[in-house]
Amino acid sequence: MTDRTSARARRRPQRYLPMQILLGFLVIYFLVPFWWVIVNSSKDSPGLFGGDNTLWFTDKVDYFGNLQELFTYGGGIYGRWILNSTLYALAGGIGATILAVMAGYGFAKYRFAARRFSFAIVLGALMVPATALVIPTFIMFSRLGLTNTIWAVILPSLLNPFGVYLMHVYARDAVPDEILDAARVDGAGEVRTFFQIALPLMRPAVVTVLLLSAVASWNNYFLPLAMLSDNRLFPVTVGLGLWQGVASANNAGGTSLWSLIIMGALVSVIPLIIAFFSLQRYWRGGLSVGGLR
Amino acid sequence: MKRRRILAAATALVAASGLVACSSDGDGGGTDASNCTNKITKTDLPVVTMWAWYPNMQLVVDNFNKQNTEVQVCWTNVGQGGDEYDKFQTAISAGTGAPDVIMIEMDRIPNFQIQNAIVDIKKYGFDAVKANYSEGSWKDVSVGDAVYGVPVDGGPMGMIYRKDIFDKYGITPPKTWPEYEQAAQKVKDAGGPQFGDLGANVPAVMMALQIQKGASPFAYDPAQPKSIGVKMNDQGSKDVLDYWGGLAKKGLVGTQDQFTPEYISGVINGKYATYISAAWAPGYLTGAGVGQGQDTGKFAVAPLPQWDTANPVQVNWGGSSFAVTKQAKKPELAAKAAYGLYADKESLTDGWTNQVIFPLNLTALNSPEFVDLKVKFFGGQQANKEVYVPASNAYKGMTYSPFGQYYFDAMTKQISEVIKGSVTGSQAADRLQEDVAKYAKEQGFTVQ
Amino acid sequence: MTLLTSKRAPRAQAKTHKIRGKVHLREHLMGWLFVGPFGIVFLAFLIAPLAYALYLSLFKKQLIGGTSFVFLDNYTKAFTDPSFLSGAWFVLRFSLVAIPLQIVIALAMALILDAVTSLFARFSRLMIFLPYAIPTVIGAVMWGFLYSRSFGPLSDVFGLFGAEAPDFLSSNLIFYGLLNITTWQWAGYYMIILYAALQGIEPTLYEAARMDGAGKWQIAVRIKIPLIAPALILILVFSLIGTLQFFNEPQILRYLAAGTIGTDFTPNMYAYQQAFALANFNYGSAISFALGGVVFICVYAFLFITRKRRSFL
Repeated sequence: MTDRTSARARRRPQRYLPMQILLGFLVIYFLVPFWWVIVNSSKDSPGLFGGDNTLWFTDKVDYFGNLQELFTYGGGIYGRWILNSTLYALAGGIGATILAVMAGYGFAKYRFAARRFSFAIVLGALMVPATALVIPTFIMFSRLGLTNTIWAVILPSLLNPFGVYLMHVYARDAVPDEILDAARVDGAGEVRTFFQIALPLMRPAVVTVLLLSAVASWNNYFLPLAMLSDNRLFPVTVGLGLWQGVASANNAGGTSLWSLIIMGALVSVIPLIIAFFSLQRYWRGGLSVGGLR
Repeated sequence: MKRRRILAAATALVAASGLVACSSDGDGGGTDASNCTNKITKTDLPVVTMWAWYPNMQLVVDNFNKQNTEVQVCWTNVGQGGDEYDKFQTAISAGTGAPDVIMIEMDRIPNFQIQNAIVDIKKYGFDAVKANYSEGSWKDVSVGDAVYGVPVDGGPMGMIYRKDIFDKYGITPPKTWPEYEQAAQKVKDAGGPQFGDLGANVPAVMMALQIQKGASPFAYDPAQPKSIGVKMNDQGSKDVLDYWGGLAKKGLVGTQDQFTPEYISGVINGKYATYISAAWAPGYLTGAGVGQGQDTGKFAVAPLPQWDTANPVQVNWGGSSFAVTKQAKKPELAAKAAYGLYADKESLTDGWTNQVIFPLNLTALNSPEFVDLKVKFFGGQQANKEVYVPASNAYKGMTYSPFGQYYFDAMTKQISEVIKGSVTGSQAADRLQEDVAKYAKEQGFTVQ
Repeated sequence: MTLLTSKRAPRAQAKTHKIRGKVHLREHLMGWLFVGPFGIVFLAFLIAPLAYALYLSLFKKQLIGGTSFVFLDNYTKAFTDPSFLSGAWFVLRFSLVAIPLQIVIALAMALILDAVTSLFARFSRLMIFLPYAIPTVIGAVMWGFLYSRSFGPLSDVFGLFGAEAPDFLSSNLIFYGLLNITTWQWAGYYMIILYAALQGIEPTLYEAARMDGAGKWQIAVRIKIPLIAPALILILVFSLIGTLQFFNEPQILRYLAAGTIGTDFTPNMYAYQQAFALANFNYGSAISFALGGVVFICVYAFLFITRKRRSFL
């Protein structure tokens, strides 16, 4: 697809100036919050609250000091939150992707009993708001003694019906039955066929599902907020929410948490931005499929 | 080849995350010492876990652990006020996950007592510390005869004001609420800043100000746990809501939520001439950067304005205690910690010199150093002697509700409506009465 | 994972040598083996919680008197509870404004980016998408600061025109404040999906249309938009589900505006409050379930209306 795009671009380069100017304004709108965070994470709290120019630096630019404060405040809890978020995103993302790839392939390529019915149920599940599940899951987990453990966050995020749906559509379209049959005739087992023939063909969709589920886990707030009470297990979203609450009560004991929250927000968005930019090639290909045709 | 590498990497990642998961598994437990924000050096002693949000808690816990030879405290801050209560409530429902000792504002004690979530600590060494606190302090942490908390700090209220603004507009601290309004009008007419603030997110202040005018929102006797008195639309409650609603409507006070960066910024930049608050406020404001640099010494404090100067009433905002939870495996040890924490001279002195607590411990409260302290935030004014200690001594205590959370949420809602101008203060009081009484009935109480 | 594979592989291989009649059985088996692990998770974390929520919602717990079976009373209560109804009304109203707005913006941006192929356009595409990489919680924290009239940029911008900055956290304007945050957060993501769909269209179709004398505008309206209708519907469904269960942004902004954003601001917040702050899991479950039902019905109704266009279900 990238080939086709660039071929098109070569054929008729398009540079409507008014459109470009419009785009310029849009980019400014989408970037202003980032700019504000980048500028204001350099300030201390008098600079923040008393400063006149909110979109520019004050005389005192202290990124290093704020960063150091961020990673040492409360025994370095922030670093722990980032690690937790990473763990939840990786474990939840990879687990959900493995399950979704297998199930999507299964639904697409095998005619098994109750297939249509099960798939319809999975599609129905797309419409169940995930948060409606949190309260009962919490009580179930509390009976099992699983609340306030990492499993309380990881296990529910293994569920990704949309991933199954996406993989189903992709496997259906991108993995021709003929190739599979040919492999079977050559004596390859089902599992080997899956790994050696089907999986490579499904790679763009796999990366997409992986990214989508990792992002979903990384962004999750409601579930860990409900499940965890030990702040050493918090992901960074819940942790910053906690700081927001503590700071709202002016209650950090001489440290103004507001500067830390701004710096923390900045640091927390960096990993995902890097992941997205570096994996661009894969996920853009994956998004264009999946029922979108 | 490439695919295989990706697969291998993915497998390795899953395995690795599994490993991390296993190794951090132990952190889920309640009494694991590795959870603490503080560092425990005497590792051979039994540990009790604790949640608290005092700004100087780290120092308090370290002091306790250093001095104690029986038990060590493992402390975390899981959030301030409502955030902590939500977590505690969740742990109560889950039957696990609560700490052994927990910081609770006194007005929330009945809330958790009625759920049987905190324990009576009278049998665990109450007599030894009884004399350290006043009768009134003990009353605030008791339900009936049982004692559910150790009083730590109180919140006698006063009126913090900006001297520079008062001087500029030629006003003296108002002694009554009508004078307060006149002064506000005067400042406004002269083009000055707003005189105060009506924040919807501090319902406890409104409650205190209503009590000052004779309101008594709850009547609850634990001997008859099924019956509760709810009275939120008496004349005093209505008058106070009408008064503040009127100030807001006339533009004399702001309507900003308090404790927000917006509010702090306003306080720093002189947007408010007064701040009706409690004795712990200066410490918190200092922590947020108020009263520093060129603003040093611009603040002062005066007694809370009164409705009837012949019969002044002093009220309280905030004030917390340490309670022992039902989930504590060794309540006796937990109670030792609750009694001992924030009771040593060093911690108390740190608390009151930085003004993050107004101590209830009589050894501090009655000490000349405390009473005569020249408070830096107030430019050397002897704030304790002039305002807070007399207010604390005149405070009579109040009856709190077993569903404080709901009451405060409902109050916030009504204050917000008053600010919006969709109801008058009196109407808000009526609605609040209806709302809370309905909730009490739903919860199975007989409402009187 | 490796465990499963090693167990399964010999069995599958052995089966290939069996006679034709058994292929059918093998296919059943293989199908379920692939789908099974997901099925288990599905049962454990979707079906079971739903069933349990339904069960819980039939009981009532009081501070005095304990727990009792009340059948559908909680639902009757929910649908007459002004808190639940006003929250539901808010998210419904919000959906009706926010979703079309986001999609129109996303579509416009996608069409522009599909037509303009400069380096700057490619850069813009990434920048517009950037907010999707920000957790909604962090996004709300950031905008919470930006809305401040004392130290956010609003006062500077409005100051240029000599006007006073609006307070997006006040009860009059919170709707727009949230509208802006969600648009900022999601428009870029929707744009990327639509853009990807647009890129999938065969360029020869445009050539043909151009031969027939169609202008750029007509190509966009007559060819591009109809061809990406399935993608549009997909986005609509997801934004509908997401918006009806609005939680993160208002919950975070509550720290700044507890008076404006009550605990019952959206149904999800109300359910959270009931369950986790007031320990009323039964009523909380009922609200969750009622909300889930409303979402399900809304989405299904929507899909039914658009059934001719969808290829995705």
